[in-house]
Amino acid sequence: MSRGNLFLTSSLWLIIAFLVIYPLSILVLESFKIAGSTGWGIHNFLEFFQDTYYLKTFGNTLVLSSLVLLATTLFGIPLSYILARYRQRGKTFFTALILLPIVLPAYAGVFAFVIFLGKFGTLNLLLMDAGLIQKPINWIYGLHGLVFIQSLHLLPFIVLSLSAGFTTIDPSFEEAAEVEGASGFRRFITVTLPLCTPTYLAGAVIVFLWPFTDWLTPLILGQIDFLPSVAYINIAYHFTDMHRKYMGIVAVVISSLVCIMLFLLARWWVERKKYTGLSKGTTSEGRVIEPGATIKFLSYLYMLFLAALVLLIPIVLGLAAFSRRWVFEPFPTYWTLDNFRVILMETPLLLQNSFVFSGLALIFGIAFGLPAAYLIVRTRIRGKDALDFVITLMLAFPGMAVGVSYLLAFWKGIPLATHWIIMPLALFARRLPYFLRMAHSSYLQLDISLEEASEVSGAGKFRTFLNISLPLLIKGVLVGVVMFFIMAFQEISTAIFLYRGGWETLPIGIFLNWHRGMEFGIAAAMAFLMIVITFILLLIIARIGGGILKAAWGPGVR
Amino acid sequence: MRKNLLSAAIIAIVSMAILLPILPNNVQAADKVGWVGPVYKELADSLMKGFKEYYKKTYNKDVEITFVHPGGWPVCVDKVRAWGDKPDADIFLGAGAPAHEVLKKEGRIIPYKPKDWDKIPAEWHGMKVKDDAGLWTCFSPWIVTNLYNEKVLKALKLPPPKTWKELQNPIYRGNIVQTLPYASGTVHEVVEILLQGFGDKEGWAMNRLLAAQLARFSTGSTDTSQLVSRGEVPIGIAVPQFTAMTARRDGYPVRDLLPDKTTLVPEAVALLKNAPNEAVGKIFLDWLFSMEGQKYVLEGGYFPGRTDIKFSVWEKEGVAMAKHAREALGVDTFWDLKVGFIQYDLDFATKRWDEVNRYYEYEIYRKWGELKSSLFLIEEVEGEVNAAKANKVNVTTAEAKIKEARKLFEADGAYAAARIAASQARAILAKP
Repeated sequence: MSRGNLFLTSSLWLIIAFLVIYPLSILVLESFKIAGSTGWGIHNFLEFFQDTYYLKTFGNTLVLSSLVLLATTLFGIPLSYILARYRQRGKTFFTALILLPIVLPAYAGVFAFVIFLGKFGTLNLLLMDAGLIQKPINWIYGLHGLVFIQSLHLLPFIVLSLSAGFTTIDPSFEEAAEVEGASGFRRFITVTLPLCTPTYLAGAVIVFLWPFTDWLTPLILGQIDFLPSVAYINIAYHFTDMHRKYMGIVAVVISSLVCIMLFLLARWWVERKKYTGLSKGTTSEGRVIEPGATIKFLSYLYMLFLAALVLLIPIVLGLAAFSRRWVFEPFPTYWTLDNFRVILMETPLLLQNSFVFSGLALIFGIAFGLPAAYLIVRTRIRGKDALDFVITLMLAFPGMAVGVSYLLAFWKGIPLATHWIIMPLALFARRLPYFLRMAHSSYLQLDISLEEASEVSGAGKFRTFLNISLPLLIKGVLVGVVMFFIMAFQEISTAIFLYRGGWETLPIGIFLNWHRGMEFGIAAAMAFLMIVITFILLLIIARIGGGILKAAWGPGVR
Repeated sequence: MRKNLLSAAIIAIVSMAILLPILPNNVQAADKVGWVGPVYKELADSLMKGFKEYYKKTYNKDVEITFVHPGGWPVCVDKVRAWGDKPDADIFLGAGAPAHEVLKKEGRIIPYKPKDWDKIPAEWHGMKVKDDAGLWTCFSPWIVTNLYNEKVLKALKLPPPKTWKELQNPIYRGNIVQTLPYASGTVHEVVEILLQGFGDKEGWAMNRLLAAQLARFSTGSTDTSQLVSRGEVPIGIAVPQFTAMTARRDGYPVRDLLPDKTTLVPEAVALLKNAPNEAVGKIFLDWLFSMEGQKYVLEGGYFPGRTDIKFSVWEKEGVAMAKHAREALGVDTFWDLKVGFIQYDLDFATKRWDEVNRYYEYEIYRKWGELKSSLFLIEEVEGEVNAAKANKVNVTTAEAKIKEARKLFEADGAYAAARIAASQARAILAKP
């Protein structure tokens, strides 16, 4: 073990300790506090498990998670197969479109669906006007609506991870299966799908964890009995009731524990079996098929269907953005540019903040993520798995947990939260796992023999990295960079707890304008602007990586 | 040697991250003042514009204003609490008496009586409008009202409900929305108004019956007004009174439902302890209560609080919002408003704040499904009993049983027992 690597690990651990472990342990300590006294104890946790209501919210969240995972998987398998394997026109465009939901702040999508599918939303009013129904149909208020909205939001994760699997499978496995007589569907079920397990699980874990961290979507739909929403209400609205706050933090800690266990389970599952092939025979595109006319038609239909659902979000928000007084009508009747006039005055600052904070977070991300990926993939240094684990764990912490803990940790003792640098630092810490995963998977795809050759020829490790590894990694890293940037750009749950006057980002601006009361149009106009920006960024990713799907997720969990 | 380069780069970045906050980031160029609070953005924008102009005019200097609005007022109070001895703002702007009483109790605000302090009444039907010692003062009063969308109610052929009792009519079921009393101070006030206005026993019964009417719980008061204005749900419980004024000005078909019993919410302002810009904060408070400042309050969509204001006079002076205020209130000054104020006991309400919230959470919200199914069954059986009675059937025992069921539901909140009693009544009815 070289001294350099050791030094590198310790510096990375130092950063992790400072930005992740220290604030989060303060949060955990809070959960043991007993309201109305200075004492400590496990009372809050005992109460949580004895209270049927909390257990119910816990059960609800598990059910929601399972249903969302089921739905995304059912819809994701055909979609990712189409995107990864079939040769067709407009693939880049469709890919970018279907990826759109993850890069939008989740609540923007919920608003759009409430306007379109709400009780007196566009669809119900159209159906009622046409005389097809007498009473409005409940499309979204309930578990079914939550599953629909969250699944649409999370579908990209499954699609990314599955298509990464489909493109990286060694074609010889499938060819062998065909030679043995298993063709079509059977080959797909018995060979192709099982081989995708590692990449699938990488996405599935994120999907399953999501309902444990998304508090806003259930709240907007009036479905409060889910763990994160109850946690948010208890933490944000405790006012003088400290016990309520501690119970909220307990809920956050418990959902984090669930997420950690799940993560370990997925990892254990993948490591139990061996999924790697020996040959390196894949092309960068993987196996591509020219589908028959019927299949081609059906696959287009399928993609169009999903794309239409996704497109509803920008379309509905667009309608709201260019109108006002949209009341009890299927479509707006009063068109105006007023909303844009208002945001024109506010947005430059918001845009500047968003770009500066996300950009700085990105620089931190690269400076940290590349060495971290290098350590995890290329060295046998002790504690590298723990490093990987702790970073990935950030996915399991709800944004509000990060926000609340940062405020607890960095206000009095270490007054970092008084300086705007806290914003990019928090974004960096919260979105780090996304970048690490991508850097990580790019590293995995880089054959070590190239680096070894360089080192044998006398180049040092750092020089090898600069001259050999980096140029080869650049494609994957660039996709990671843009992805990280987008994810930092749309972050709100943490930022909303940390921002001070003058530090507002675009998502915070949307949130504040939604709180403006009536003029939903202004918030819609900002959200619309945000969609345009992120869509352009997504198209850039799609351009960089011809095989964007592969590059973006890669073989996440080994 | 080379590999140390990478380490060096990392050290540089880490130390940069640590050093940055130490570098001076507050260059004292302009005077500053910071606000934190739950007021709507429109008010904050209006006050910013007005105060900046005033400051430039009076002191020939620019003033830089920051406004932090992390959420509803419980969130704002918590934000101030998190700041501890080092508040990141000078003024707590907005929220009613309970929030300010908590800030006072926790020692987070200091007394300051702005210049025209005596123009604000001290008390209104039991509700404190300002603190005697000047710790907090109301700059904009409003009453707790309900909001309805006339376009949607008309389409649904429903008359606007005028009283708390009328809201409990089953015809409105599923067409009402509110948030949880711990998520919004205004909803908490509604629960408390029903308790103080009708007495605890009947008050809780009314809260239960009202909960059964709801389509769902919204995320907050602003969400409620947004839902009602867009017509997604036609009636919203516990909306600030001025919402109807600004919404009508913007062309939304919504109106206030001034209920039979209500209370005043004194939207107040206070100076934070250890405020970094205390002097400018005091100048702001003086200005806020001046006639000029109060005009900017109205332009920001809130009612002004001074007793010596006449909207008709302001209208002549060219204050655009004065007309809307007069139309919304129906009187020439806020304090002439004639509505059914209850005698509100603020100290009592503040003392039992958490207790009321917890009772609502455990006995109404958490049992919401059970509550609804129980009440709906009682209503059905009551209908059957009445129908049988109309057919001259002897229903004495069944009637007694269903009355017992309603009592179990309303007075005791024993939803399961009430349900059983109702099914027993139905059984008695079937087998006379």
